Amino acid sequence: MDNIGLKSGDVTLVEILDRVLDKGVIIAGDIVISVADVDLIYLGLKVLLSSVETMEHLRGAPFPSPMQEAT
Amino acid sequence: MTMNSIVETDFPETFVEEMEKLQEALPQRIDANPNNVEKGLAKLVLTLVELVRKLLEKQAMRRIEAGSLSDEQIERVGETLMKLETKMHELKEVFGLKDEELNINLGPLGDLM
Amino acid sequence: MKLYLYGIIDSSSMIPEPICGLEASSVYNIPYCDIGAVVSEINQPVQAVSKRLVLEHEAVTEKLMEKFTVLPFRLLTILDGRENVLSMMGDYYGDFRGNLDGLRGKVEFGIKVIWPADKVKSRIIDACGTKNRNAHLLDDSVERRFVREKFEEHKIDRALREKADGYIHAMDVFLGKFAAAKRLETLRTENLLLSAVYLVTKDNQDNFREAFEHIRTARKDFKYLFSGPWPPYHFVTLRRKSQPRRNSGQTAIFDKVILQPTLVEADRT
Repeated sequence: MDNIGLKSGDVTLVEILDRVLDKGVIIAGDIVISVADVDLIYLGLKVLLSSVETMEHLRGAPFPSPMQEAT
Repeated sequence: MTMNSIVETDFPETFVEEMEKLQEALPQRIDANPNNVEKGLAKLVLTLVELVRKLLEKQAMRRIEAGSLSDEQIERVGETLMKLETKMHELKEVFGLKDEELNINLGPLGDLM
Repeated sequence: MKLYLYGIIDSSSMIPEPICGLEASSVYNIPYCDIGAVVSEINQPVQAVSKRLVLEHEAVTEKLMEKFTVLPFRLLTILDGRENVLSMMGDYYGDFRGNLDGLRGKVEFGIKVIWPADKVKSRIIDACGTKNRNAHLLDDSVERRFVREKFEEHKIDRALREKADGYIHAMDVFLGKFAAAKRLETLRTENLLLSAVYLVTKDNQDNFREAFEHIRTARKDFKYLFSGPWPPYHFVTLRRKSQPRRNSGQTAIFDKVILQPTLVEADRT
């Protein structure tokens, strides 16, 4: 994985993710909807660290392969 | 909107590095993007195959430790484990998957690897 | 009307201070009996787990934590309409009520410890000695050598785990004293010796912190991370299983049944 100049703020993000992604109140069923057409996956820290502007630019564009960022 | 929670450590990069290795092998949801479906499913299947392989290996080790296998049986076990390992290695290469991506948490049994 | 869920609180009143949620919309409480679901309305489809989304979500749950007991929701729990929220609360009321009562006045702290796995392994290998390797016969088959190597690996791995358990137990002696509940994970990666969460009453926060300082200074070759206070993400227990989705274009091959620790002393995983 490329060195992307991780800062200490990122360890906060990683700690939060360790909780919000699959802990807490988890309910499923017909009434729970994901608003997007495509199911959501956690693409990894590298994607999350891109700026909000970049994320907005990526909306509507095809998702990058989740394996790409693992190289 | 600010947050109250603090994260204190003298080694933030080190911890981020370790935590990144923990990305789940079994995703919460499957990405339906056609480009990714194949890889997602391959990961799923290979994770399960790896589970079986590791369990066989562990079982073999326990039997050897208990001394309940003859020399010939040990030989056979060795041959099988070797072949399985080689096969898994090939499959991982074909799909571009790394060991960490196939690790799953077995709850009370700990992690697979 | 799509509603984004942040948490369940032990109050059916309006939220006293304004809280800002996703898309800068107002966060409000939907009451049900003596509890409430805290939501905000969203209009934009959420297409990715972004940093902003994560931080905004967490900021809301922490704000709620200041005034209420809160059961935080997992990220991206979105329901369609108020009726569905009420129906969900009806289904889970017993669980929610029980959890809220058990978690009142308690917060979660996280502790992670990294150890020099390579060094520990080297020491173990040295201790095992090279005598075993010298005992190999030169005409040993490839298969037998393979098994022998695997077996050595297996022994080393086991010794590593035993060492890890020893260290963790020693640390837990101090930390566990001030915890109402805990969840410990050993060797999530080879270097991540311990990944633990402790449920601590607000009164005991300082004591707990002191206990951490004590173990932190005990070993200089370990690396430590301390985080919190968090809403009690790891200590929410829902007994009611999730229903599988029907007629959905979205396929979830694994609908997880989450086995969470109960609110009494949790065993080490």
